[in-house]
Amino acid sequence: MQQQIMSDIFSYGCISIGILFWFWGTLPLIGHRSVLFKLHGLSVADTLGSMSIILGLLLKIPSEYPLLILAIISLAIWNTVLGYVLAYCSSRGKVSHE
Amino acid sequence: MNIVLGMMLLALLIPIYEAWQDDDIWQKLLAFASIATKTSIMILVVAVLRDDWMIGVVGVIILSVGNAALMLLAQLIKRMNDAATNYE
Amino acid sequence: MTGYLNLILRLAIWFLLTADLSLANLIIGVSVALLLPRSRTTPGALKDWLRALGEIVVAIPQAYIEAVEIILRPHTQEAVTMERVKPGRTPGLIFLDIFLITFTPKTIVLKYHENGWYEVHRVIRRQRS
Repeated sequence: MQQQIMSDIFSYGCISIGILFWFWGTLPLIGHRSVLFKLHGLSVADTLGSMSIILGLLLKIPSEYPLLILAIISLAIWNTVLGYVLAYCSSRGKVSHE
Repeated sequence: MNIVLGMMLLALLIPIYEAWQDDDIWQKLLAFASIATKTSIMILVVAVLRDDWMIGVVGVIILSVGNAALMLLAQLIKRMNDAATNYE
Repeated sequence: MTGYLNLILRLAIWFLLTADLSLANLIIGVSVALLLPRSRTTPGALKDWLRALGEIVVAIPQAYIEAVEIILRPHTQEAVTMERVKPGRTPGLIFLDIFLITFTPKTIVLKYHENGWYEVHRVIRRQRS
């Protein structure tokens, strides 16, 4: 019983931290900053925030751990690589425009 | 959990609005990348909420093959920009 | 060696997808991972790989710390700096380095120059004058 309550607190804590990160990182999208500055915000929101949300789900249903761990790993790798590719492509595009 | 889902929907509206209102192609692409990740996380949350793991498997598959198309698209747009500037 | 990373990645995906550690499944996974074609690259030192894997483990809490930092104290300025690649890196290790730098929220690698430099974009608190 005690343990149940503890794991509930931890999982909801992780999920709410994740959602806080989502809002913080996504709000700069509206506004006139450079693509790269927004990319920093998105790496907080979409990589770290989503990882923390999945960790919260993992604490809720530990029985499905293999798929959720796969989800965390692929999320980290894909989002980081996409960030690099977007930064590389968009900066080259801007240079050639000037 | 319903409140969590509602907050996530609210967060999802931000990149959708951005994709609609900005004309620069890179800003649009950034917003779409954000939408892709957020929806797949929402699929996972719905799977837990409804206790239906078949939905969850779909979410995990989307996450693990997901962003490849966006990366290809970014490369393609860059090549087209380069070609256009060379032509001029 | 990129072979190690490849093998570990394949086995990890296989076991996480099947979620089954019976002997038969183990044999199938290992043989499939070994049989799938892989590229031949120059082998790097095993020591470098172990250190890189250690850096990944450290990078996760560090990324969260940096995220909290830029949330609490807004970083509003941007800067582009150049960083030197450590000597004697194989392509696989360079990929891991780029991954680690981009994974932490304050820094993103913009471009990798062939002659041994990363172009790193970072957010800073105020202009250094």
